[in-house]
Amino acid sequence: ADIISTVEFNHSGELLATGDKGGRVVIFQQEQENKSQSHSRGEYNVYSTFQSHEPEFDYLKSLEIEEKINKIRWLPQKNAAQFLLSTNDKTIKLWKISERDKRPEGYNLKEEDGRYRDPTTVTTLRVPVFRPMDLMVEASPRRIFANAHTYHINSISINSDYETYLSADDLRINLWHLEITDRSFNIVDIKPANMEELTEVITAAEFHPNSCSTFVYSSSKGTIRLCDMRASALCDRHSKLFEEPEDPSNRSFFSEIISSISDVKFSHSGRYMMTRDYLSVKIWDLNMENRPVETYQVHEYLRSKLCSLYENDCIFDKFECCWNGSDRQVEFLPLIVMTGSYNNFFRMFDRNTKRDITLEASRENNKPRTVLKPRKVCASGKRKKDEISVDSLDFNKKILHTAWHPKENIIAVATTNNLYIFQDKMN
Amino acid sequence: MLGKGGKRKFDEHEDGLEGKVVSPTDGPSKVSYTLQRQTIFNISLMKLYNHRPLTEPSLQKTVLINNMLRRIQEELKQEGSLRPMFVAASQPADPLSDNFREAQPAFSHLASPPLLPADFVSTMPLESCLTPASLLEDDTFCTSPAVQHDGPTKPPPPALQPVKDSFSSALDEIEELCPAPTSAEAVAAESAADDSKAQPGESNIHKPEGLPESRTAEPKLMDPLPGNFEITASTGFLTDLTLDDILFADIDTSMYDFDPCTSATGAASKMAPVSADELLKTLAPYSSQPVTPNQPFKMDLTELDHIMEVLVGS
Repeated sequence: ADIISTVEFNHSGELLATGDKGGRVVIFQQEQENKSQSHSRGEYNVYSTFQSHEPEFDYLKSLEIEEKINKIRWLPQKNAAQFLLSTNDKTIKLWKISERDKRPEGYNLKEEDGRYRDPTTVTTLRVPVFRPMDLMVEASPRRIFANAHTYHINSISINSDYETYLSADDLRINLWHLEITDRSFNIVDIKPANMEELTEVITAAEFHPNSCSTFVYSSSKGTIRLCDMRASALCDRHSKLFEEPEDPSNRSFFSEIISSISDVKFSHSGRYMMTRDYLSVKIWDLNMENRPVETYQVHEYLRSKLCSLYENDCIFDKFECCWNGSDRQVEFLPLIVMTGSYNNFFRMFDRNTKRDITLEASRENNKPRTVLKPRKVCASGKRKKDEISVDSLDFNKKILHTAWHPKENIIAVATTNNLYIFQDKMN
Repeated sequence: MLGKGGKRKFDEHEDGLEGKVVSPTDGPSKVSYTLQRQTIFNISLMKLYNHRPLTEPSLQKTVLINNMLRRIQEELKQEGSLRPMFVAASQPADPLSDNFREAQPAFSHLASPPLLPADFVSTMPLESCLTPASLLEDDTFCTSPAVQHDGPTKPPPPALQPVKDSFSSALDEIEELCPAPTSAEAVAAESAADDSKAQPGESNIHKPEGLPESRTAEPKLMDPLPGNFEITASTGFLTDLTLDDILFADIDTSMYDFDPCTSATGAASKMAPVSADELLKTLAPYSSQPVTPNQPFKMDLTELDHIMEVLVGS
C-alpha cells in the first residue's frame, strides 16, 4: 500500500508531497540552509502525513473505487497555510496544511489537561496567554469535489487565475471553481454516442501556465489538442491539433499503443510543451502543430521487445516527465528534461548539448552522498563491462514519477516503494 | 516476464516474433508475421477477459486492446477478400501452400493448432474469417476436432461484433459459390451468423458465464512469450470445467451493465464472449467426458485435408 503514485514539489520547493496507493499523502519539508553546512542544501524530512482518500465501494456497479492518489497539485501560497489538491479516480479534495506552534494556556474554567474546574473554586480571573509548543502540522480537508466523473480521473491542473482548476478523466474534462464543490462545468466531452465506437481516450490535461483560457489534453492515439475556453462553452473543437505523422519504417502492431501519451507538461514560459509516450519524450513548439521540435529516445532498445511488454502489461505503464527548474521566473529557458524508465533507471536529456544520461535510483548501487554513476544499457551485441543487457532489466522496477525542484537542482525520484532525493554536486 | 538475469531459450523463435518488424508482404516471413499476429490476437483476447479485477479495469487499456483486435480482424478480413476464393490445398505448386507445408513441421512442437489455422490463412482464404474462432477453439478446448465435425454445434463467429459483419459477408460469398455446403463448419458458421444476427441480445446473456472459467484456466498454462513459445493448451483445460461450472456459474453482470461507466468495457467485453461462450455451450456435452491430460491436441493434417475437400469440393 505504500507504492508511490505521485510526486510533486510546491511552488517554492520547500515542500515535497507524495501520494501513495493506500490513499496517504506524505509531505516532506526542506531544512533551512545551515550556514555551517554550506556544501549541501537542506535535507528533506517528513513534515506531515495524512490519509487523503479512503477506499470506497460503488454499490451500483459492485466495484471498488481505489483510494490510490493519482495526482497532487499545490496551490501557490497565499497565507501561512499551504493548500494542495489531491485526487483519486473519482474525487478531488482540497487540503489545508497548517502549522500550530503555540497554544493558549491559563484558562479560567479549564485545567491545563482540559478537565473542567469546579466553578466554585475559581476565585480570580486571568487572561489566557499563548505559549510555544512543539510544532504540530495539521491537515484538514477544506473542500471535497465529488460525483463529477464517471470515468477515472487522470489529471488535475490549476489555472493561472488560481481560482479555477480542471479535472480530466478518460472521456471528459471538467472545470471547477476552488470555492464551489457542488457544481462543475464540462468543457470537453469525447464520449461517443455509441460506446462501441470508442477508440480514443483522454490521457492527460494541463492548463497553460500563463493564459488562463488555454489548456491542452493528450490522447491515447498520440495527439495533443489545444483548446481555448473563450471559443465556446464546450471545447469539443480544438484550436490546435499536435500530431506527428507515423514513421512508416517503425510501424508495428504496437504503433498505436506506444504512441499513447502518458504525460503532458508545459514549459514554465508556456512556449513549449513536453509529451511522454512509451518510448520517447517529445518537445513541441506551440506554434508548430505538425511535428515536435525535438524527440528524445528514452529506451529505444525496448522497441524489439514490445510483444513481451504487451503481454506482461508493461507497455501500458504511464511514465511521467518533467522540466528542470530555474531560479529565474522570467525569460526562462527550459534546458533539461527528465523521465523514468525500467530497472530503476531514470534519464535526463540536455536540450542544449543534446547529451543524455542514465542514472539509477537504488540503495545497493549508490551510497549516500556519493556521485551517481552513469549507467548504460546494451541493446545487442557484445556487452561491455558495466553495461546492463536488455534481457536482465527488471521490469518490475519502474520509475514512473519524477519531480524537479522549481528553483534548485534537486530532484525527487520515486521507485515503487521508495523516494529518492538527489541534488547536484556543489563544490 | 523478463526477469533479472534470466536465461533465454529458443532465441531463434523469439527473434522470429520479436526481433523484426515483419511486413505482410515478405514471402518467407509471412508465416512469422501471421504467427505474430495470431499470438497478439490471443494475448489481446486474454487480456480483455482474463482477470476480473475488483476495481474497474482501465478504460484506456481496454480501448487500446480493442483497437488492436479490430485492426487484426480488419487485416484478416482484407486478406480474405483479396485472395481468390478457392485456393485448393491440393495444388502443391502454390508457393504459399509450400510454405504452409514446410512451416508446419517447424512449428509443430509449439502446439501447432494455433498455428495451423494461422497458416491456413495463406492458403485457405475462406478460413480467414473463421480463423480467429477456430483459433480460440483450439487454444482452449481439447475436443475441437469433435466440435468441428458435429453437425448442430455452432463454432463461434469471429470474436468482435464488427467482424461478425465481415464474417457474415464472407459467408455470403461462400454461400454464393457453394450453394449447399455440407461441411459442419460452413453449416455451423451460417447458423451461427444467422443466430448472431437474429438474437444478439439474447445470445449475449448466455455468453459471459462460462468464459471466465476458461479464461482463468488459460494463463496458468500459457508461458510468457519471451523465448518460450509453448502455448501448451493441453494438460486438462477441460478437467477444470465441469458442466456445473459452465451452466451454473455466477453470471457476470458487469458484462451487460448499461451504466455509462461500464458500458465501454461492457460493450467491448460483450464482443468476444459472443464467440467463446457459444463454444462453451456446445462443448458442455463433451466436457462430461473424461479428458485425459495427455490427449493430443494437434489437428491432424488429414483432418484439415478432409475439411478442405468438403469445403472446396461441394
